[in-house]
Amino acid sequence: MKIVIDGQEIHCEGEQTILEVAREKSIYIPSLCDHLRLTPFSGCRLCIVEIIGRKGYSPSCSTYVEEGMEVKTKTRGLQKLRREILELILSEHPNACLICSEKDNCDEYKSTIRKVGETTGCVLCPNNGRCELQEVVEALKIDKVRFPSVYRNFEVKKGDPFFDRNYNLCILCSRCVRVCHEVRGASTVSFVFRGSETVVGTILDKTLLDSGCQFCGACVDVCPTGALTERALKYETLPDKETTTICPLCSMGCELEIKLKDGRILSSRPSGTGAVNQGQACVKGRFLIKDLVYSPKRIHKPLIRVNKELEEVGWEEALGFVAQRLKKFKGKDIGLISSPQASCEESFLFRKFAREALKTENIDSPAHFSPLATYMEMARVNGLKPDLNFRIKDISEAKVLFLVGSEIAVSHPMIWLEVLKAVRAGAKLIVASSIESFLNRYSSLYFQIKPGSEFYLFSFLCKAFLEKEQAEDISKSDSFEPFKKSLEKLHSSQVFEFTGVREEDLKDATEFLFREESSIFLFGSGMTQSPFGSQSVSALWNLASLAGARLFPLGLENNLRGEFEIGEKFSRKGLTFDQIIGAASSGEIKALYLAGPVPEFKKAKMEFMVLQDSFRSENIKMADAVLPAATFAETDGTFINNEGRIQKFGRVVKPVGEAKPDWWIISRLAQKLGKKGFDFRTPSGIMEEMKKASPSFLNVSYPEQQKDKAAFIGQEENKEKKFLPLTFGRFLVETSKTYPFLLCVDYNLDFYRNLSLSQEIRGLKILRDSRWIKMNSKDAERLKLKEGETVVVESLSGKINGVVKISGLIPRGMAEASLLWNEEADFSVFNLFSPTPQGVHFSNVLPVKIKRGK
Amino acid sequence: MEVEELKIKSCITKYNYEKKALISILQDIQEEYNYLPQEALNIVSKTLGIPLIDIVGVATFYRAFSLEPRGKHLVTVCVGTACHIRGAPNILEEFERKLNVKAGKTTGDGQFSLETVACLGCCAIGPVVIVDGNYYAQTSIRKVDAILKKHRKKKK
Repeated sequence: MKIVIDGQEIHCEGEQTILEVAREKSIYIPSLCDHLRLTPFSGCRLCIVEIIGRKGYSPSCSTYVEEGMEVKTKTRGLQKLRREILELILSEHPNACLICSEKDNCDEYKSTIRKVGETTGCVLCPNNGRCELQEVVEALKIDKVRFPSVYRNFEVKKGDPFFDRNYNLCILCSRCVRVCHEVRGASTVSFVFRGSETVVGTILDKTLLDSGCQFCGACVDVCPTGALTERALKYETLPDKETTTICPLCSMGCELEIKLKDGRILSSRPSGTGAVNQGQACVKGRFLIKDLVYSPKRIHKPLIRVNKELEEVGWEEALGFVAQRLKKFKGKDIGLISSPQASCEESFLFRKFAREALKTENIDSPAHFSPLATYMEMARVNGLKPDLNFRIKDISEAKVLFLVGSEIAVSHPMIWLEVLKAVRAGAKLIVASSIESFLNRYSSLYFQIKPGSEFYLFSFLCKAFLEKEQAEDISKSDSFEPFKKSLEKLHSSQVFEFTGVREEDLKDATEFLFREESSIFLFGSGMTQSPFGSQSVSALWNLASLAGARLFPLGLENNLRGEFEIGEKFSRKGLTFDQIIGAASSGEIKALYLAGPVPEFKKAKMEFMVLQDSFRSENIKMADAVLPAATFAETDGTFINNEGRIQKFGRVVKPVGEAKPDWWIISRLAQKLGKKGFDFRTPSGIMEEMKKASPSFLNVSYPEQQKDKAAFIGQEENKEKKFLPLTFGRFLVETSKTYPFLLCVDYNLDFYRNLSLSQEIRGLKILRDSRWIKMNSKDAERLKLKEGETVVVESLSGKINGVVKISGLIPRGMAEASLLWNEEADFSVFNLFSPTPQGVHFSNVLPVKIKRGK
Repeated sequence: MEVEELKIKSCITKYNYEKKALISILQDIQEEYNYLPQEALNIVSKTLGIPLIDIVGVATFYRAFSLEPRGKHLVTVCVGTACHIRGAPNILEEFERKLNVKAGKTTGDGQFSLETVACLGCCAIGPVVIVDGNYYAQTSIRKVDAILKKHRKKKK
């Protein structure tokens, strides 16, 4: 298609607006309400253009190009109109500085700084220098506002964490309203009232916290003025450098843009070019990165225990001390815990260190808690090679999505955004979980199933399908008959009783699920960590095979996949994670090297413990040596995310204090132990060696044929359809008179290494405290509990403290707690599980009693 | 007044669960409760799958809806152009004085809500005041007391 803009002939593709085409060709058309990722709104009217042959002026942001269109963007008439429109906008926006004759002079010498107040000028605006309105005023050369200035005199809303809302600065461009609704699906804010009274507001002017906001910060990022500003950035100077990194706080690995001033982090924003996040992030990536890196809990210097006290020493001394002590232990007496949040290089090196320098096989990470581990274990037992790699884009292109056991809007916000795109494009979303999600309004079908009963639901759906249809191509498989036979033992009455799902709802499900269109099933830890998790995975595998769906586990930590790939390549002869913790408590393991998260264990009988971490935690009390590690922002390396995407990240800032990257610490320590082959100078050197050891890092694939070559980790997959026969007994978690509540335990990802984000960062604590015991208001009323009160939750094996949080989403008779590593002993949900010789038997559903605490 | 879920649901069922019937549903709820109770809006939001904030946006856009409980009697004073030049502002002021509330608010005893409207389309008989659907034509300050008295007596 050919169009003409300002006399310039331009070739363009169909579905584009005039504004988009003009932007591509660097033709400037002023605009305020338009945004790359939002639907056109035509609210500000600044982008009006003249189209030859059309009456009046058309907004270029919402006018699509047509063949032979001739557009004029800079006629005198247009400029005059635009100025007048902008003057009208400015009449309701503080503008003294924007049109001040001393403007240029003032930038340098601040000659008139005291002459304007916050209500009239820019100097005190938190967004000064970052404001799009300033840019447009500059471009249109406004020097006078002829209309009387109106100050709306709203109170600045400061009741929410992370950002303030000052609607006196708002120009009603609707970007925040649209991004919240269209992109995030949260619909927290909208225009309220009408005409000159119109304002962006929440439900009955409540705080965002009470309106269901998740504080993803998307509205702050799109706001063209200072109406929405990050509190931490208020009155900060402008950045002098910008760089990108990968967020380590969930399994998707969003690309973040880090703004720096004098080598110090100012803020983090989602990067618009990020393959995974495309300009979006969540509360953690958007607001917590700076607080995390500069946490007061950071360990600045190596510490060693001398005469029962930890003393600060230099690196040489600390490494010498650790090496000398570790030498005394035999390989089998040493245990090591690695972290799924460390980079691939560091995980690899740590394993190499364990085997070659310490001669032990007892190394593991808590990766086996993840749905991925349950899935792979199921695959290993049954000789399957499932497809693990996917692209996040695939989700938005699916026609049917089945989501089990995860509140993805909180745990995997980026996957949620793709699910939302799919739903908006007409896909069917089916959700099965025990606890209702506040985003269920997007689901076509929602099953509120009793915790742990997923297994019956899936098997029933298989059975219902097989009774109706003749699955010819599938029935050729050898495993089909035994599977079909095993289903005969499943009675529908059993299913309705155990799952709590109504029969009529299930009918619709079979209709949606077996549509034979591209469907994706996603399952989270809510399903796999239940006492019958492995059966549920098998049942879901059968269902996915029957429905021809792709099946993917939702990961937990950022480099869990990488940790898993590396861990798998090393033969597993030593103790597992649980066994190491168990053996350390009983004294079978004499020396423990902790570089990853562990539940707090009290009765430690070890002789020697090394803690390699970035943050102080309770474990430090037991440590004999503490080696301060750098955070992700202070080193470089590679993560492999949930999709299997290889994500390289670079160093952003210098390490805090004397902290050093983990790979540096490990290789120096190995050298101190007299080992050769550890003289690495950069993580890329380690990567080279890793590629030789583990072919999946060599056989990478590039499914997205792009310039930047998005690389995915290699995998062997076997597309053979295989069915797994199942047994059906009475698999149920039941409450009793003594323990009348069913407690659902949710794996909490709000931590980085030993730092509990919700305990250390106030904003997140207000939003989602890891110590909350969520319960229904009726149950709380019955127990005479109020929100914020301390409660004691007691199971057969132990008790913990918690804080009551009333939630309408929790069904009666149930409660929800979250499991966080490194939580203080009094609050650690691990105490509720029974210790066994193999370690702690963990399951996410257990009967408890709840009573008022002191 | 207690909000009954069934009552609200029946308002929604009447319109076949259609999202586009939101305004009609809100009108029915307002008819029932004299205002839009928040629990009712919650139920509408959940049943129709419309975000609550969007419902609030609609409810605040139209003057006819009220999110706060309204009085037993609704006094609407027309302040459209024709009524305006015939003295509607004075009549409104008189109502405000007599009822001791500002336009848009409800008296402390919950008897009267005072509202304004831009034009009723019956300019010939202006200034117009409507109380509970009864039109009072060619009103003046002097008639205000009588109008209020008449409705105060009536037990609704």
